[in-house]
Amino acid sequence: MVVSAGVDMGTQRVKVAIIKDKQVVGKAQEFVGFEPTKAAEKALEEALKSANISREELEHITATGAGVDMATFADSKVSMMGADAKAGVYFFKSARTVIDVGAEDARAVKCDEYGIMQDFIVNARCAAGAGTFIEAMARALEVELEDMGPLSLKAERASPINASCVIFAESDVVSLIHREEPKSEIARAIFDAMAERVASMVKRLGVNPDIVLVGGVAKDEGFVASLKRRLGIELLIPEEPIYAGAIGAALVAAKKAKRARRRAQ
Amino acid sequence: MLEIIAESLLVIITLALIIAGSLAIVIWVRNNTRKLSTLRLFVQIVAVVLIFLGLIIGPFGQEKWEYLGTAPKDIAIGKEIFGRPYPDGLTVPTFSCYYASGRTATCVVWQLQSYLFPDFGTSSVYATTGVERLAIAAGLLIVMSIIFGRFLCGWICPFGLYMDLLTRLRKALKIKHWTLSDRTNEALRQARYLIIAAFLILSVILGMRAIAGVELISETELGRYLEIPFCQVCPAKPLFVLVEGALGFMDVDYMMSQTIGDFALTGWYLTSINIIVLSVVTGGSFMIRRLWCRICPLGGLIAIFSRFGPFKKISLIKLTKVEEKCTKCGICKRVCPPQVTEVYDEKGGDVTVSSCILCFRCVEMCPYEDCLKVEVAGKPIYKSKNWLKEEE
Amino acid sequence: MASEIEKGTKYIPEMSKSEIDDLNKSMKTSSLKVIEDNIEKMKKAWKNRPKAMEYFDEISNLFGKRQEEIKQQKAAGKKVIGYSCIFAPIEMIIAAEAIPVRVGSGWYDSAKLGDRIMPVEVCPVIRSTVGAQMVNLSPFLELSDAIVMPLTCDGRTKLSEMLADHKPIWRMNPPRVKDDPHTLSMWKQEIMVIKEKIEKLTGNKIDRKNLKAAIEKMQQATKAFRRLQDLRKGNPVINGRDAMLVNQTALWDDIERWTQKANELCDELEKRLEQKQYSTYPDTPRVMLTGTPMIWPDSWKVPNLIEESDPQGIVVVDEQCSGDRILYDPVGVDEWTMSDMIDAIGERYLMACTCPCFTSEHGNEDRINWIIDRIKEYKVDGVIYYVVRGCILYAMEYQRIKNVLDAMNIPVYYLDTEYTREDVGQMKTRVEAFLEMLEARMDI
Repeated sequence: MVVSAGVDMGTQRVKVAIIKDKQVVGKAQEFVGFEPTKAAEKALEEALKSANISREELEHITATGAGVDMATFADSKVSMMGADAKAGVYFFKSARTVIDVGAEDARAVKCDEYGIMQDFIVNARCAAGAGTFIEAMARALEVELEDMGPLSLKAERASPINASCVIFAESDVVSLIHREEPKSEIARAIFDAMAERVASMVKRLGVNPDIVLVGGVAKDEGFVASLKRRLGIELLIPEEPIYAGAIGAALVAAKKAKRARRRAQ
Repeated sequence: MLEIIAESLLVIITLALIIAGSLAIVIWVRNNTRKLSTLRLFVQIVAVVLIFLGLIIGPFGQEKWEYLGTAPKDIAIGKEIFGRPYPDGLTVPTFSCYYASGRTATCVVWQLQSYLFPDFGTSSVYATTGVERLAIAAGLLIVMSIIFGRFLCGWICPFGLYMDLLTRLRKALKIKHWTLSDRTNEALRQARYLIIAAFLILSVILGMRAIAGVELISETELGRYLEIPFCQVCPAKPLFVLVEGALGFMDVDYMMSQTIGDFALTGWYLTSINIIVLSVVTGGSFMIRRLWCRICPLGGLIAIFSRFGPFKKISLIKLTKVEEKCTKCGICKRVCPPQVTEVYDEKGGDVTVSSCILCFRCVEMCPYEDCLKVEVAGKPIYKSKNWLKEEE
Repeated sequence: MASEIEKGTKYIPEMSKSEIDDLNKSMKTSSLKVIEDNIEKMKKAWKNRPKAMEYFDEISNLFGKRQEEIKQQKAAGKKVIGYSCIFAPIEMIIAAEAIPVRVGSGWYDSAKLGDRIMPVEVCPVIRSTVGAQMVNLSPFLELSDAIVMPLTCDGRTKLSEMLADHKPIWRMNPPRVKDDPHTLSMWKQEIMVIKEKIEKLTGNKIDRKNLKAAIEKMQQATKAFRRLQDLRKGNPVINGRDAMLVNQTALWDDIERWTQKANELCDELEKRLEQKQYSTYPDTPRVMLTGTPMIWPDSWKVPNLIEESDPQGIVVVDEQCSGDRILYDPVGVDEWTMSDMIDAIGERYLMACTCPCFTSEHGNEDRINWIIDRIKEYKVDGVIYYVVRGCILYAMEYQRIKNVLDAMNIPVYYLDTEYTREDVGQMKTRVEAFLEMLEARMDI
C-alpha cells in the first residue's frame, strides 16, 4: 500500500493531493505569492493533516506544473501533460483526451485507458487561449470574474470582436461598450474567442472521445458552453478540476514509489 | 555366423570412421567460413567411396556381361525385395553411373529409360524387366526426393564432387570464376525439363522399334543403344568409365570394341558425343561453378518431386530465411555455386528453389545471426551466425 | 574565363587572415570545452566507469593525440585519405598504407559560418563542414591529402564542389537503386577508379596480399564492434553515450589499436555482466535513436538530454551511420582472388547500407528490417527519430517508419532540431514527456 503526494506548482496557486491505495484521501491549495516553495510546503502540511497521515508515511512526492523546479522537497517530477492524462482517467475511466486550460497556457493530451499519454499539444504562446484572458476582459467589461460565465449564458449571439490578439481584443471590447452592445453578448464573444483557440489546438492534436476538461477555467460555465459549441462534442468535467494536476502527479508518485522499492532490492 | 558378425563389424567400423571424420572436421577447422564446406567435401568423398564400394570389396572384371549386373550390389542389396525382382542396384538419384563397374547404387535416369519399355525383344542382356521395376525405381526416386531433395546433388553426387574439385583447383590457381547472366541461368533451368521430356519420350519410341508395324530402326543392335538415349550424351558416363579404365577396374579394350555401323557408337561406354559433352562440361565447370547442375535433368527430376506443388510442402530439407534479419548484403547471391538468386530476392520463409543444390554455402557465409536456416522436418539444424566470432 | 569570373566560381569567399585566426581560435576553444563537458557528464552519469574508457576519452579529443599522431605519420611520408560518408572502401586505403579519417563536421559554431554562403534551409552538416573549411577548424580535413566523397545526397553533392577549391575530391557515384544488376557492376567500376587513385596518390600497389591483410584487419574490427553491440542487448553494462563514443572513434582512430582497446573494454564489460554490475538501473526505459548521423562533439546534445532527464533513458542501440552501422557488416570474401575481394568490398559498402538515399521496388525495406530486428533484439521501449532540418531523406521516411512502429506498438517521437544550442530548453520538455510515457508504459 503506497502513500504518495502530488504537488502542482501553478502560476497562481499551489495544489496538493494525497493518494493512498489509488484513492484521493486529502487535498489542499495555497496561493503562490512570492515564496512558492514555502507555499507548497504549507499546502502539503495541510493536505496531510486533512488526510490524517504523517510526513513519514509519505513514500514519494512528485511535483508538476510551471514552477516544478521550485518544489525542491519533491522526489521526482512529471510533466503537466503526463499528470493531466493520469488525472483524466482517474476521474472518468472512459477519458481518452484531456484538455487543461490554465491561467497562462493551455494543453491537450491524448491518452490510453491506463492514463499513459500518447501525444500532446501545448499552447504556451497565445494568451487568448488561457485563463488570464478572461480576467483581463472581465476588468474591461467591469464585471466580476465569477459573473462572466452566467452573464454570457444569457446571450443568444456573440458580438463581433476581432479577437486575433488579446491586445486588440481589449480595445475592441471598449469600442463595443461604447456602441452599447449588450454586455452578455460581449462576454459570450470573449468566451467564444477563447474557445476557438483552445478548440483549434485540440483539433490539431486530433480528438478521441471521451474528452475531459480540467484546469481552473473548467468551472466557468460560459467557457464550457462556448467550448462545447466549438468542438461539437460533450465534455466531461470533474467535481474539482483544479486538482487534476496534483492528483495526476500523486498517481505518478505512487508508481515511482514502487519503482524505487524495486530498485532498492 | 562368423561371416555375419564380420560383416556387421565392418559396417560398424565404417560408420564409426565416417562419424569420427566428420567430428574431426567440425572441431578442427576453426575458420567458420570453411567449416561446413570442408565437411561437405568429406561427405562427398565418403559418398563416392560408398557408391563405388564394389571396387573395393569386389568381385569384378570377370565375365563379359556379368560385371555389369552382378557382384557387389547384389552382395549389398540382394536380388529381390519383398519377393519381387530388384532393380540393378539401389536407386539413388545421383550420377552413380550404371555403366561403371563396382557400383552399388544406380543412376535413376538409366533405370527409368531402361524400364520404360520393358520389352527388350530376344536379347536378354539384362535380367531386369517389368513394370514393377519401373515402379520401384520411380517410387524410390520420389521418396528420396522428398526426403533429401537436391541435398543429394550437393553432398552425394560424384559428378558434383568432380565439379567441386575443379573449382578447388581453380581457386588454388587464384583464377577468377565466370558467371552467367540471370537470363542464361533461367534458360538452362527450363532446358532441364525439355531434356527430361526428350529422353523419356525417345526412350519409349526407340524402345518400341516399331510403331503400328512400321519399323523405326533397322538394326536391332543400334536400337539397343538408342533405347537409353540420355546415357549417350551424359558427361558422367565417360568420366567414370575412363577413370575406372585408367585405374584398371574396367577393360579398356572392351569399352572401345563395340563400334557398329555408321555411327561412331563405340560401345556402351564411350561415344564421341559423350566425350565431347564431358570436355565441354569440364572446361565450363572449371570456370563456371557447378555448370552441369544448372542443366542436369536428374536435378530437374528431383526438383519436380521436391519443390513443386504438394511435394514442396512435404519435402523434408528446406532453406528458410527470416526477413527482418536480412540486410540484403548480397553475400549469399555472390557465393552461391549454381547462382541462385532467390535466397537474396525472396523476402522470407521457405527460399529453397529447384536450382538450389542445398550445399549451404549461403548459410555458411551469411554474417547475420539466425538469418538463414537449414530446416530438417521443421527443425533448424544449421543457422547462419556471426562467423567472425570464433575465428582465431 | 576572365579572371574575375573565374574568381567568382569559388564558393568560399576570401577572408582576412586575422578573421580566420580569431574564429579558428574561438571555435577551437569552445569545441574543446564541449568535448570536456560531454566527457565530464558521461563520467558523472556512470559511477564506476571502466578504466578502459579513458583511452576513448583521449581519442575523442579531435585536436589532441590523434591529430599529432597523424601529423607525424604524414611527415614520415604516409598519405591521409579522408572520407565524408561510410561508403568509402576503407580496406583499400589501409592496403595502400594510407590513413583513413572521416571528415564529417559536428560543430555547431561553424554552421553559422556556413550560413554566409548557403541559406539556413540547407543541411547543417554541410554548412558546418564548409564553415570548418573556411577557418581551417577541422584537423582531419586539414590533414587530408584527398577526400573520397560518395555523392549520396544533394547536400554532399554540392559539398564536394565547395571543398574542391581546397582539396582534391574523389567523387564516387553510388546508385540510388541497389538491386538492379547493372547498378552493381557500375558501383564496382567506381571502386576500381578509387583503387587506382589511391594507388597513384600513395605510390603503393594494392595487391592480393595486402588487400587480404587489410580485409582481415577490418574483419577483426567488425568482430570487436559486434562484440560491443551485443553487450548492449541485455541489462545495461555500458551507457548509451559511452558506447556511441566508442563507436564513433573508430572513424578516425588507428583501426588496429581501436580494435585492441575495444576488445579490452568488452572483456571488462563481460566481467561486469556476470557480476551484475550495471551502469544504470535495469528498468531504465530503453531508447533507440534513428535518423541523421549525430557527429561528435556537439550532437551529443540529444543523447545528453535522454540520459540526464528525469526520468532517465538509456540509448541501447541506434540506426545511424554515425553509430551502430559503422562497422557492423563484414566483408564476406568467398574465394580470396583479387576480383572476388573487390566484389566483396564493393558489395559490403553498397548493399548493407540502410541509408534513405536508397530506394528499391518496395522502398527502403532494408532500413525497416534493420529497425524491426534491433527493436526485438535490444528490447527497445521507444524510438526517437532524429532529423536535422534540411535532411529531406530522413524526414520523408518518417511516416513509413512510424506506421511500422505503430503496428509494433512501439512509441516513436519525431525530434527535429538544428545545429544550435538554443533549443535545448524546449527539447527537454518534449524528450522528458516522451521518456515519461515510456516509463509509465513499463509500470503498468
